[in-house]
Amino acid sequence: MLRVENLTKIYPGGTQALKNVSFEVKDGEFLVIIGLSGSGKSTLLRCINRLIEPTEGKITWDERDITAASPKELLKIRRNIGMVFQQFNLVKRSSVMTNVLSGRLGYANPWLSVLGIWLSADRERAIKALERVGIGDKASSRADALSGGQQQRVGIARALMQEPRIVLADEPVASLDPVLSHSILQYLEQLNKDGITVLCSLHFLDLVHRYATRVIALKDGVLVFEGLPQEINRAKFKEIYGEEAQEVRATSFEAPA
Amino acid sequence: MKNRPSIWRIALTTLLIAAGVVIIGYSSRVTKIDFVRLFKDAPKAKSLISAILSPDLVTRDLQTTTIEIAFPIPCGSAPNATPITSGPHLTTSVPCASVKDTFTLEGFSLSPNAQIAIRWQIPTIGSLTLPYANTDANGHFTMQLDAKQIAASTNNTASFIQVDTRIPVGNMKPSQAVNDVLQAMFVTIFMALLSTSIATIIAVPLSFLAASNITRHGPVGTTVYYLTRSFFNLIRSYDPLVMATVFAFWLGFGPFPGTLALMVVTTASLGKMFSEAVENIDPGPIEALQATGANRLQTIVFSVIPQIVPDFVSYTIYHWDINIRISTIIGFVGGGGIGYYLSTQINSMIGYHKAGTAIWAIVAVVWAMDFLSAEVRKRLA
Repeated sequence: MLRVENLTKIYPGGTQALKNVSFEVKDGEFLVIIGLSGSGKSTLLRCINRLIEPTEGKITWDERDITAASPKELLKIRRNIGMVFQQFNLVKRSSVMTNVLSGRLGYANPWLSVLGIWLSADRERAIKALERVGIGDKASSRADALSGGQQQRVGIARALMQEPRIVLADEPVASLDPVLSHSILQYLEQLNKDGITVLCSLHFLDLVHRYATRVIALKDGVLVFEGLPQEINRAKFKEIYGEEAQEVRATSFEAPA
Repeated sequence: MKNRPSIWRIALTTLLIAAGVVIIGYSSRVTKIDFVRLFKDAPKAKSLISAILSPDLVTRDLQTTTIEIAFPIPCGSAPNATPITSGPHLTTSVPCASVKDTFTLEGFSLSPNAQIAIRWQIPTIGSLTLPYANTDANGHFTMQLDAKQIAASTNNTASFIQVDTRIPVGNMKPSQAVNDVLQAMFVTIFMALLSTSIATIIAVPLSFLAASNITRHGPVGTTVYYLTRSFFNLIRSYDPLVMATVFAFWLGFGPFPGTLALMVVTTASLGKMFSEAVENIDPGPIEALQATGANRLQTIVFSVIPQIVPDFVSYTIYHWDINIRISTIIGFVGGGGIGYYLSTQINSMIGYHKAGTAIWAIVAVVWAMDFLSAEVRKRLA
């Protein structure tokens, strides 16, 4: 169980991105975080693996205090928290294989890995991870030779290399053609069914309804909603996103099952 | 009324134009610009330019043949020469002469259009070289000679007039100048290569210290960042030529101080360019690798290095290219290599053809480097 207590983040410029946010995520949940751009979703996700240092508050994971972890402990904790990004964050010039293997760096021998020497078990694991997201044949391609959807799948395969117990997905489909949204989210859903907790920020309401087991909403850094996806109706959506917000539906692009 | 430009605007524009004219006029006086002289004195440059256009490239082995004729001074002091009339031979207008007489030397059937060396071969004294002459298309030449006291016969033996002709034999081969230029060019290329590669090795780690996205974290990092950057900017403000002069005071002239100067300046210049390349990378992959639990070194090796390698390689090759040009100039002030060879030949006044060889070699190498670096950078893109 992941517990976030009174989390506050104030950036050096004075921007307060998170204000006293508290919530819990049970193991095996698919928690979706919604909110406008700039509402603090990315900051929240990055505080969990401390890519961003929280200003105040406490994050505990199975009684381990992430916020108090030493740099060395933090590396160990991060190994078990996979992350998927809006912009995929692949090294474009490197091969797909290298990108996927880099997800294993937390486990690999630091010196050998720096020289590019990998255990054959890790290589097999990488191929399996790529096969799992359906692009086993792309291992030797350069990352930037792949389409956006394929790149995001490489991103997921990289996260899989970490043997994660939690996956943080920061708007994983926001940079993709809506047609591809379901195909990516279905991979995350599959991971979730295999027992991995997923924290995912999303924009489309119908995607929220389709994939979330629970939803939290942020508005200007404040937690304004916590509940089941069914509880988010039009009125609630307008409340979170503001009066001018127009809901865009991705349903019509539902991918064949 | 409103559409008319204001009087002040017109006055200001006039003033600016006037100021511009004054500045250009004054600066052309200071720099002694005189375009008339540029054309009037053009003939002065003719010998240099024509020499440059006909570089000393090939040579052939020369075979020397010597013919001679005895010439008693005064008459009767020794037997007159037996006249020869066939093959390459010499004749004199008189068979013998008294001291201070003038006579004509003629040569026949020598190699045509060749330079010939003429000398007196005087018994017991040795040889006395006379001016060079050239044969015409028929292998013929004439020359006025004085019967000098020094060439007088001794002990009933006459002095001989000897003529050497040199005939090129065998195949064309690269001239001595080509060999010297190649050797000097190698020095220059390796001067540039060595200084660039050592500079690269030093600049790579320094550039990370001078990259704000890598180093500028916390008070220590920020201090290191500013120190490294200031160091780069300070060194970069010195021209390599100035730096070479300083090192030459210290170490004497030669390729070493030149290489050292290039190395220091290139380190700063590459360091700055590298650090900007590091600052321009996509931060996304860094974040992604930090998230996997990779340590700092792993993160840099897997996310930063792949992004900067193309830029680093192309900047390094670009600097090698630049450094070949600069080391030519450094050679001019005593830094060795092709520049030194070139300056020596130009200053010697007789080596213009060799200078031409050097200049063409520089053109060829600079062109080749330019092409090579453009090709490599194209491939890396």
